[in-house]
Amino acid sequence: MPAILSAEHVTKSYPVGGSDVVAVRNLSLDVEEGELVCLLGASGCGKSTMLNLFAGFASPTSGRVLLRGRPISGIEPRCGMVFQSYALFPWKTVRQNVEFPLRMRGVPRHERRGMAEFFIDMVQLNGFADHYPAELSGGMQQRVTLARSLAADPEVLLMDEPFAALDAMTRQVMQDELLRIQERSGKTIVFITHNIDEAIVLGHRIVVMSARPGRIRTIIPNALPRPRDIHVQTSPAFAELKSEIWSHVEEEVTQHMAASRLAEPV
Amino acid sequence: MREHIAVGTRRLPWLTIDWPGRAALVSMASVLLFIALWALATATGWISPLFLPSPVAVAQAAAKLVLSGDLWRAVLASSARVFAGFFLAAIVAIPLGVAMATFWPVRAIFSPFISLLRPLPSITWIPLTILWLGIGEQQKVTIVFLGSWVYILLATYEATRRVDPLLVRAARNLGAGDLTVMREVIFPGALPGILAGLKVSLAIAWSCVLSAEMIAARNGLGSLIWEAKDWGDMTVVLVGMVSISLTVLAADVLANRIEILLQPWERHRRH
Repeated sequence: MPAILSAEHVTKSYPVGGSDVVAVRNLSLDVEEGELVCLLGASGCGKSTMLNLFAGFASPTSGRVLLRGRPISGIEPRCGMVFQSYALFPWKTVRQNVEFPLRMRGVPRHERRGMAEFFIDMVQLNGFADHYPAELSGGMQQRVTLARSLAADPEVLLMDEPFAALDAMTRQVMQDELLRIQERSGKTIVFITHNIDEAIVLGHRIVVMSARPGRIRTIIPNALPRPRDIHVQTSPAFAELKSEIWSHVEEEVTQHMAASRLAEPV
Repeated sequence: MREHIAVGTRRLPWLTIDWPGRAALVSMASVLLFIALWALATATGWISPLFLPSPVAVAQAAAKLVLSGDLWRAVLASSARVFAGFFLAAIVAIPLGVAMATFWPVRAIFSPFISLLRPLPSITWIPLTILWLGIGEQQKVTIVFLGSWVYILLATYEATRRVDPLLVRAARNLGAGDLTVMREVIFPGALPGILAGLKVSLAIAWSCVLSAEMIAARNGLGSLIWEAKDWGDMTVVLVGMVSISLTVLAADVLANRIEILLQPWERHRRH
């Protein structure tokens, strides 16, 4: 099966104070249609940079980023971004936020309301359609963002640590919901996280990244049965996978810490 | 009841006793005490009525002006000028401010003129505007316009620049074009700042119209004060001053109401 989204030998550097900082170096990755790929790594590993390249918010310094074989140039609505900080329009109600992409897609008025209702139900926010974002909790706002992105019906959903700001219990619920939605809609999802458990719960594949410059350290397939509820999460297979991932991550983190200790002024 | 930062409650424990309207009552007592002291100072001859007329004389003058209708006519004349000039300033300055903040050529074209015009108090426009427009309504409205549009423009410009770029990015990612981004993201995002700027500029517009009326006008609150001065009638001057305060306060209350109506999404802050 051909990849829906791919990065070919992508390098991205930013000018910082006169010199170039390389955020990602020579990274290649294929994302298959319908899969949920987790990019896992510590801060500074270039995972957010990759997501911005996929969304077309930035373009690679060298190499290519392709959607269905065609280079992404400029902001790409077919790659829908679910922002970590929600990015909801504060002046629009939940319903108006969810209807926004429907209007942009040209869905006629009489169909919009029902469709918005459908997506609001999907993230279990029925009853809150006429609330403004500021009147909702963080977890609820995150669900509105998800509903809004789903309403845009993008070919790929890009999720930038969407649950990082949530408390542990809400995060668990949101992960379950995301899995349920992904199973039902068959959406391709690229999901960024620095949480190993989250990556194992969600990902079909887990891409472990290394830092400075960002590269792929290894890609680990995840064959644990879905849904990965608490029974799966407490199984030996889960623990085995976790320790395998940790062995890769640990080396990264210790190297990284040693490097930053050296860089610190005495 | 919202929590306030309170001091002095340890030494004066009775301050913590809470009952409805306590602040309003203390404020009222404070005003009454001030008027009593003022009355005392003028009645005992400590201050000559030539320098400061007694509160009773001021109240009598006010009653006369209200009954004759002169005061209402003056308030109405000034308010109409402020409203016209301010409205024109807003419809010119708000779109221009948004355009300057979002499209650099517009910024480059207009910013030198704005830098030059900004430091000029509106009163310096009075000679030229009288030469061009005479001393009628057009000249008053023009002075209000010239005195307030730059402030509205700068407030709009700053507010537009401060709109969260993440929201613009999100809108584009959801398929929005330039026009939608402008109308549904940038404009509502800048609205709180624009409205705050409008409120400040409204007070400035009032000071513009008063100075214009003091220099050359046949009616309005400014001319009421200036003519009374020529007659040496300080009671009317004081009535005029109090009327200005009350009118601007009323305009401010109205502006706050409009602000609430225009921004329903801020409702959670008012609970």
